[in-house]
Amino acid sequence: MSPKPSLDSLLPALSEAYGPPGREEGIRAALRRALRGMGTVREDALGNLHLHLPGKGKRLLLTAHMDAPGLIVTRVDASGLARLTLLGPMPAADWIGAVVSLDGSARGVVGWDRPRDAKETREIEPEALYLETGLGAKQAPKKIEVGTVGALLDRAERLGDLWCGGNLDNRAGCAAVVAALSGVRGLRNDLHVVFAAQSDLGARGAGTSAFGLQPDVAVVLDVAFVGESRGTGDIALGKGPCLGLKEEGYLPHPRALDLAKRAAKAARVPHQWLIRESGGSDARAVRASRAGVPTALVAIPARKTGGPRVLVNANDLEQTVKLLRHIVTTPYTGEKGSR
Amino acid sequence: MVSNVGRTSAEWLRYITSLPGVPGQEEAVARELLKAFGSVADRVEQDRMGSVYAWIQGDGKPPRPRALLAAHMDKIGFLVRAVEPGGYLRVTEVGGFDSRTLPGKEVLVHSSPPMVAVFATRPPHLQKKGEADRPIQLEDLYLDTGRPEREVKRKAPVGTMVTLRQSPIELLGDRLAAPGMDDRAGVVVMLRALELLASKRPSWDVVAVATVEEEFGAVCLGARTAAENLSPDLGIAIDVSHGDMPGAREGDTVPLGSGPALSIGGNIHPVVLEGLKRSAKALSMPYRVEPCPTGSGTDAMDIQISSSGVPTAVIGIPCRYMHTGVETVEPRDVDRCAHLLAHYLSELSPEWRAVEVLK
Amino acid sequence: MSANGAPKFREDILQKISNAPGVSGGEEAIRSILAEYARENVDSLEVDPMGSLVARIDPAPARPRAGAKSGRGSRNGGRRGPHVMLCAHMDEVGLMVTAVEKEGRLRFRRVGGIDPRILPGQVFRIGAEGIRGVVGALPPHLTPRAERDKVTPADDLYLDIGARSREEAEERVPVGTYAVFDTTYEAWGTTRKGKAFDDRAGCAVLASLIQRRPPVPVTAVWSVQEEVGLRGAAAAARRVQPDLAIVLEGTASGESPGAPPDEQYPFMGKGPALTVHDRTLMVHARLLDRIEETAKRHKVPTQWKRPGVGGTDAGRIAISGAGVPSAVVSVVCRYIHAPAAFLDVRDAQRTVTLIWHTLETLRKEWP
Repeated sequence: MSPKPSLDSLLPALSEAYGPPGREEGIRAALRRALRGMGTVREDALGNLHLHLPGKGKRLLLTAHMDAPGLIVTRVDASGLARLTLLGPMPAADWIGAVVSLDGSARGVVGWDRPRDAKETREIEPEALYLETGLGAKQAPKKIEVGTVGALLDRAERLGDLWCGGNLDNRAGCAAVVAALSGVRGLRNDLHVVFAAQSDLGARGAGTSAFGLQPDVAVVLDVAFVGESRGTGDIALGKGPCLGLKEEGYLPHPRALDLAKRAAKAARVPHQWLIRESGGSDARAVRASRAGVPTALVAIPARKTGGPRVLVNANDLEQTVKLLRHIVTTPYTGEKGSR
Repeated sequence: MVSNVGRTSAEWLRYITSLPGVPGQEEAVARELLKAFGSVADRVEQDRMGSVYAWIQGDGKPPRPRALLAAHMDKIGFLVRAVEPGGYLRVTEVGGFDSRTLPGKEVLVHSSPPMVAVFATRPPHLQKKGEADRPIQLEDLYLDTGRPEREVKRKAPVGTMVTLRQSPIELLGDRLAAPGMDDRAGVVVMLRALELLASKRPSWDVVAVATVEEEFGAVCLGARTAAENLSPDLGIAIDVSHGDMPGAREGDTVPLGSGPALSIGGNIHPVVLEGLKRSAKALSMPYRVEPCPTGSGTDAMDIQISSSGVPTAVIGIPCRYMHTGVETVEPRDVDRCAHLLAHYLSELSPEWRAVEVLK
Repeated sequence: MSANGAPKFREDILQKISNAPGVSGGEEAIRSILAEYARENVDSLEVDPMGSLVARIDPAPARPRAGAKSGRGSRNGGRRGPHVMLCAHMDEVGLMVTAVEKEGRLRFRRVGGIDPRILPGQVFRIGAEGIRGVVGALPPHLTPRAERDKVTPADDLYLDIGARSREEAEERVPVGTYAVFDTTYEAWGTTRKGKAFDDRAGCAVLASLIQRRPPVPVTAVWSVQEEVGLRGAAAAARRVQPDLAIVLEGTASGESPGAPPDEQYPFMGKGPALTVHDRTLMVHARLLDRIEETAKRHKVPTQWKRPGVGGTDAGRIAISGAGVPSAVVSVVCRYIHAPAAFLDVRDAQRTVTLIWHTLETLRKEWP
């Protein structure tokens, strides 16, 4: 048995792994290492990573996406700069200054064609971004092919109460799942854990996983950003994990939400409500698979910095781990004929 | 319990539209529909996502093909998103209201017991200059229950359902206006059709599904999951179609009182459409063909591409002022849709399947 | 152009289906032409509930092997290689007549993505009979100066079939009738001109491929309703349940005079375009590797499709069921979604050749 993984070791290790949407090989390898000794791990057709922890009771799917913001080379221009399009919802502006690893090998830094007279910097089109690799006008076109995929090269760091890192959406969630599972006893559900691929491209991997597994109930773990719950009732760092009440394509199933609420109560974990008017997690795909899956959403509050790195609160993470442990050890009572 | 026997379509409409139930919170309407369908169907049940199924067993030889009817039982509404100091409520919508129609409307906050509230407005005297020229957005609006903050906080936590409070209005010409005709009118069509089918058995099994969550999100959740669950050989959605209104373009609407609107387009299987037209002609019933160039925007969209493909059709009930509190239909059109549906289903050949084997 | 051991591209099929009408939701004419060709060559052929044409074709009997089992190919069976779904969509962008006005004018809506600026002055063929209709435009003499710089919204346009009354128009063109660009297939040099090469090019490539028994079990799907949301392939993929899928497309050329050279790709005439990523799909990395290797080994020139733009049926197929590794290979066409497109017939043959040899590769090297 490897030593019990802690958040302090998991967050740096998982956050720096290469894994843009659809090219998650690096994070898969990192998760396999982190999950060593916990059970049999398998990869499916779309690249999702599955771990089954057999238990008596209903089939519970616990899923967190493992892909992180990516970009893809569309061409190399006459001056040797790689031009880009984005994979996933991270806005073009947030990429400026990011150090990027190309297919896990070559490196570059993201720059921006700043218009001479630009004062307003918020509306930045992906076409204005470039990746400077230092290879030069001659070498770059030969070494960098169209379609090369890049990811943020970034290792999470602790800053006081906070964790700071480029890939914490959703490597923070992955770390919380691994930490919650390590050494867990008394499973009261038949637990299937999926680290989902291609979430940032539209909840693709989680949907196919749920189709294959046909769970009785599902809990999706992701991060949610401050400001996404618009107007009054926004979320905040340090107030505990969020339970999802509404987001694009997702409303909680009463029984699944009940499972999360009971677990939170038993764990004495405070929670906040998440209402996202636009954007969403994998929950929408999981709940709509096959004949439907009662689904709840748990989200770790996070804050954007306006650059590639985001912040999460260490205590929120601890609370999330506690909540997840209680969820997997709380029996799902199911829905017989009603919800 | 009210007896269901002999209820007219207008009576059904008044009753069914009065039941609360926004996307994701359809328990109350589902409970009532289990009773209502229970009085006409051979068997009723509810699936894990909350949709209500009502079965009419066919009299063909088993294994019988299966027709799925779908009308959604959710109606657009709101959820409490925050309680502000002073006890004012902010809401988020579930399903798309035209927020310009909301100011001054009474609502029910579904605490137990429910509380009356109003969408607060600012009188003209207190408005800033030019304020009245700008359409009101949902963010500008709040609800006032006229109760103390502490009571509101206790009774109406975040997530509590809010619906428009508007009893059905009888207009001239037997027309009826109420919130939630979209698509409770479709639910009534299914109820009436099942009544007819119970006495005139089709050869197919028919399962009428009152679906959840049509009005929310890109996926019609209830229709999609029910179709996956039931793998039907045919799917027919019953929903409202835009009624004629001044300012609307010809071809985008159907007149009230003109009978069923039968959609045409990629979402519709041509053989099913022809069958529905044949039934309308056999019943000497007026109908319209409603063009749907890129999709019908109904439960049929998700049913068609569920499992390995389902032949689908859409029957539309002409309805004015959709997604307001005064959705208006003619009960006569509801009757006609029900008769059309029952006739078509009872004429279905036990052998017909959409899959055509060429080799 | 030599087929390099692969089946020959059937230009006659392309010509026929390019000329025939098949707007999303009304693909019957295309389907019946393809069904005629397919019937001879396949083991089973059916029209699914949405109207997609689904043909199964088993591989040529391999040299007998000890312990080889019959039945469909499977990941574990291994002997016959993976079960591959090849898919091309039959539908094209066009119009649907939505109302007949009392003066006999036809109001319409666009089906699929058509730039409204190309509509005025265009000729359409309406319905199965192909009645001609023109999209009228106010002559510049009568257009107020302020209006001349504006794009006329498609909703303000109408089709004129010459009818004098509503009754006369309704009799010929009922509401719900589809209309297609009035374009006839032509050939000069290696260039081919026609309508709907997106995706009749893919349809013809697929029809060419099944002339011979393939190296692996193949289900050929000519899908419906791609242009209105990738709908037909979603249902077909669930029916077929393949081990992997390759979608055959007619994709947009990037050539544009005046633009910097590095922006001008892919090119017509430079071989099949391979997709890494579009709005609906990240191509399965290992499957893409197999295709690239095959192209190198068989000296088929390939190029990259521009990442991040467009979307194809592969997006739906990839996420159908428990997930299907998927790729897209395209014939590069100029001026898709417009009346007349161009393609280079050598690219069509190269695509047939590449896919054929990729199937051979997959028999040996998958998963």
